[in-house]
Amino acid sequence: MTAPAMPPLAGVRVLDFTWVVAGPVATRILADAGAEVIKVERRALEYVGPRRAGQQADLNRGKLSVAIDMASARGLELARRLAGISDIVIDNFSARVMSNWGMDYASLARLKPDIICISMSGLGHTGPLTGYVSFGPTLQALTGFTRLMAGEGGEPAGYGYSYSDMVGGYTGALAALFALWHRQRTGQGQFIDLSQLEALTGVIGPALLDISVNGRVQDPVGYHPQERLAAPHGVYRCAPEGDDSERWIAISVRTQAEWERFSGTVGSPQWARDPRFQTLYLRMHNQAELDRNVARWCAERTAEAAMASLQAAGIAAGLVANGADLCERDPQLESRDFFSVVSLPDGETTRVSGPPFRLSRTPVTVRARAPEVGENRDYVLGGLLKLSREEIEALVRDGVVTA
Amino acid sequence: MMKPSQRAANTVLAGQQNNPTGALSGLRVLDLTDHKAHLCARLLADMGADVIKVEPPGGDEGRRVGPFVGDLPHPDRSLFFWFYNFNKRSLTLSLEHRRGRELFEQLVRGCDVVVESHRPGWMSAMGLGWERLHDLNPALVLCSIAPFGQTGPRRGFEADDTVLTALSGMLFVNGFPAERPLRPLGLQAYHSASYYGAVAVMMALIARERDGGVGQRIDLSMQEATVASLEQVAAVYFAERRIQRRAGSLHWTRFFRVGRCRDGYVMHSAMGDWTSLIEWVKADGKARDLDHPEWNDYAYRREHAEHIFDVLDDWIKDYPRDELVARAQALRLSYASVRGPEELFADEQLKARGYFVEVEHPELGRSFLYPGPPYRFERSAWRIYRRPPLLGEHTGEILRDDAGVSTGELAALAAEGVI
Repeated sequence: MTAPAMPPLAGVRVLDFTWVVAGPVATRILADAGAEVIKVERRALEYVGPRRAGQQADLNRGKLSVAIDMASARGLELARRLAGISDIVIDNFSARVMSNWGMDYASLARLKPDIICISMSGLGHTGPLTGYVSFGPTLQALTGFTRLMAGEGGEPAGYGYSYSDMVGGYTGALAALFALWHRQRTGQGQFIDLSQLEALTGVIGPALLDISVNGRVQDPVGYHPQERLAAPHGVYRCAPEGDDSERWIAISVRTQAEWERFSGTVGSPQWARDPRFQTLYLRMHNQAELDRNVARWCAERTAEAAMASLQAAGIAAGLVANGADLCERDPQLESRDFFSVVSLPDGETTRVSGPPFRLSRTPVTVRARAPEVGENRDYVLGGLLKLSREEIEALVRDGVVTA
Repeated sequence: MMKPSQRAANTVLAGQQNNPTGALSGLRVLDLTDHKAHLCARLLADMGADVIKVEPPGGDEGRRVGPFVGDLPHPDRSLFFWFYNFNKRSLTLSLEHRRGRELFEQLVRGCDVVVESHRPGWMSAMGLGWERLHDLNPALVLCSIAPFGQTGPRRGFEADDTVLTALSGMLFVNGFPAERPLRPLGLQAYHSASYYGAVAVMMALIARERDGGVGQRIDLSMQEATVASLEQVAAVYFAERRIQRRAGSLHWTRFFRVGRCRDGYVMHSAMGDWTSLIEWVKADGKARDLDHPEWNDYAYRREHAEHIFDVLDDWIKDYPRDELVARAQALRLSYASVRGPEELFADEQLKARGYFVEVEHPELGRSFLYPGPPYRFERSAWRIYRRPPLLGEHTGEILRDDAGVSTGELAALAAEGVI
């Protein structure tokens, strides 16, 4: 047991029908933990990008790929045989797709009684809207993220990306782990109905209770504190760097002690001694005036320099990082090796985001690059299903499996 | 699976015992986190783990964060605390007192998981570092959640959720180009970290069962968890050396943008069957040039997304919001209404699934609707077993039953400020 430990999910096989983002995020987490994730892919979808680098490289690292024509009877039979040797079957289709294929939980449990089936549909498997077509941005619209992340004139904007897909993915991975734990203890598999709408609703946070308990309609969040009261609290533009004027810093001054240190760090100017700013209540009350002064201080220095001096005084402050800040010059992410280098077949490399935690004994880590569509056909069909070379060639020839 | 008819069964009575059918029943978790990571242990409690929230005698700081029931500030009326702490029990215990630490060590011997979010080094300074806890209980899983993790040059940086979303790249890509970056609804840096924390704990527990009961420690960085929650920022940079910038409501894939109907906003979607969409727009006489053949090309549509949405904005401006979305959905086009979260309580789908759960607060003589399950397990239910605990509500029962403290000593501990 002191020998190098196996990753936590070594020996767990996941048959992965998921696509787009939410589902692949869930199985990415399982793959990093050592599960053998077999992506069952269909014909290449036009809006799924290349696998060498970028989002698809990140989402699919460490997985295997086999491309099966699920519209053919022989393709379905292959998929069912793979399910029979898997621990988890996971999809993010709308409710009826898996049952149309005979791949629903009831059918698969007859092949493998302790199978775990996870369906990550948009709105769930029961209710009047099971067929509702949704993507991350539309779920964000339905739950309030788009409306409450609004511009200065109240115009809805929301996230610039699909945070919903990340939450759906985390929820899916967690569901898989709970189900594995349950199976480890009882020997039982089960079906899990995950509605991404419900998953996203669950992370709105205390605002939901403010509605249900106090009946308060929520205003756009802006920079009103959503946790401890703080002032100054917000983002402020810093000095341009070269021709880049998009340099900002977030600052949060919570306690009176922090205010005093803040005020010393900005050089104890006259405005910081203004009686209107001497208590948290007054600073909240006179926030617009306070912000104008803080903004002036920020505009005179780079985001990096402002952050360094405020952090040196123990003030919560952080530059508003862009892609290059994160990927090229964040000393913290670098020192913890957050981004992992993966090798490509031609000897080139790319980088992907790693797991955001370290387990001391059983490594969870990026294991390999993402496979090209169908790349692991011979291992999956020959190695796992024990099909002969001739049988595999016949399946390829007949278009049941693509190379 | 939970059905609407079973909704009554979700109603919680204060003090109800844990349902033995929860997947995590029998697991005990000591929750030492502050409000930054409250959600982590709650995710475990929702599946039946016995989570003891260890609070300083003055109460967790989260209890002082609003909103409050009826806007009346009080440690037992914080909706902020409620949201993150239902299903937990509350024990007040000062780890700064020697006797407090002894009692904590006794509890550590009988628990499976400790989750903590103290400043890196604080637990060791208290004599409760990993080596000590591991000695006390070799099967223990310790999950340490810190803004920047336990190592690295910025491990001592101060941060709240706003600063974390800044340093993690979450802020930079939200909002209108001519305005400042927009902050998320909800504390999403904290939430991302908590989800990953629960994931990591479950991985460590599964490995523990496999490997003969050996625990381990987890070092989780909230900054990393938030970077991992970005979807595209790092990926675009690594693939194209391009910095992703904010573009109002235009999604980075360029297939979604907000538009304005007669009576409200919708999310346009150009993801899906282009022909069905354009035939409809054309039938309304509003397609302009969008029926030209070059628009059938996916890459062309992506490149000229702004023009598509400008034409579609003009098309929808006289439609009522709900009618537009219903007709789009009938064509399997993924349009959606831009709603406020209050509309979720009237949502027919959530209603039919019995999503919101009624929780009784006997001390207030009222029941309130809480958010429900993010997943529905056929055999191991997500449940609200108990309302959020009052401050120190379970101190007596936990110390008596699990640390062998007599009633007499309880009084003395309270007098000394240990509990």
